[in-house]
Amino acid sequence: MTGRVNALQSSVKRSDQWSVLLTCVGENRDRSAFAALFKHYAPLIKSFAQASRHEGWFPGLNEDLVQEVMIKVWQKAAGYNPEKASATTWIYTVARNCRIDMLRRKSNTQHLPLENEDYWHEPDEETPTSLLQQKRSEEKLRESLSQLPREQDEILRKVYLEGKSHAEASKELGLPLGTVKSRVRLALQKMQILVPAEFQDELAHEQ
Amino acid sequence: MNNKTRHHPDTSMLLEFSAGTLDTAASICVSAHLHFCAHCRDSLLRLDQVGSKLMEDAETQPMDDALLENVMQQIDRLDDVSDAAPAKPTTATKMAEADYPPSVNKLIEADDKPPRWRRLSGSVDMARLKTGQNDFEVALHRICAGGKTPKHDHGGLEYTVVLKGSFSDERAVYSEGDFILRKPGDTHQPMGAQNGECICLSAQSAPIKLTSPWGFLMNNWLRISPR
Repeated sequence: MTGRVNALQSSVKRSDQWSVLLTCVGENRDRSAFAALFKHYAPLIKSFAQASRHEGWFPGLNEDLVQEVMIKVWQKAAGYNPEKASATTWIYTVARNCRIDMLRRKSNTQHLPLENEDYWHEPDEETPTSLLQQKRSEEKLRESLSQLPREQDEILRKVYLEGKSHAEASKELGLPLGTVKSRVRLALQKMQILVPAEFQDELAHEQ
Repeated sequence: MNNKTRHHPDTSMLLEFSAGTLDTAASICVSAHLHFCAHCRDSLLRLDQVGSKLMEDAETQPMDDALLENVMQQIDRLDDVSDAAPAKPTTATKMAEADYPPSVNKLIEADDKPPRWRRLSGSVDMARLKTGQNDFEVALHRICAGGKTPKHDHGGLEYTVVLKGSFSDERAVYSEGDFILRKPGDTHQPMGAQNGECICLSAQSAPIKLTSPWGFLMNNWLRISPR
């Protein structure tokens, strides 16, 4: 029995190599772990930068973004909680916030009281869903993302990678805003991203 | 931090928030809602996973090693500085409260001219917040216990998040964390709950319009000033 419990516990620890490395950076300021993360993520961040179709973004900013994001990763790694998110999701959120802040700094002469990461401050709390549940939803996501119809995939890429709002996407694609929104909603339903509040309460009771 | 919020931003707002394409004023309101709503935080995590998967699947080219060296050097310098840096003093103003979303408190405290309450009517006070954008007036509204506000329509979009207490209108009762979106044509008359004052964060893209017979006389005074 104890063996089973142990096995269960170890299976819910996030064990992908990037999350382990990021935890090492956070806990031990481990430079070689950081260099390994850099080699894996820097090219991904660069292509995330290259994907930007924001007004005012230019290629010269691509490597600036890589540097800024990786330095933030070093500075903030101590706050990384592997029970909440994978390293990739965590680094994606850092990259997203940095990309927006760089744009705002470039286009805005006014002093901005909030950095983008301020919007994402999370209260300290227990993990909202169990790690096991999260992993299942991540696997489902990976699978279902590759099976989305082209028109749904296209809109998700426009919004997440190019940084277009729904309104901008609708203009570019020559589609009514309502159609863009419903395609997004269909995609999220297929990937089972959104659990209606009622269902979630039921799930919580079942556990 | 409760999980009893009943009124949430819709799916496309949350997704735009996750992708970072939502405008500043709306983002401030969604962020305030997330502080109170575990359900939306959970949805957001999964929406962030969509973004991270899309980032992860991209085709990549190898990076120049010089960039890694450069970043390593910057990190060395950072570590030297951060060892010596003293803790930043925080200036608490009266308006910030421990239970508020950190983003709201930061807005209150970051302002060089501390926001202050101004009387709007017998039962409503308002304090404008500086957010560095020009499309929405972002402000705190305070309705006193049992306070009635005039019946009004909306000239544009209005986002409201209840930060403290509760209020009601013809449709529902709204309590801490609830997120409400009003559009032109949505006429309502909010009333503060009897058991205490209610404080809301709001963002308006155009002034409200009073709908009482003599309201048109007042409408000229109802201006918004985004800052």
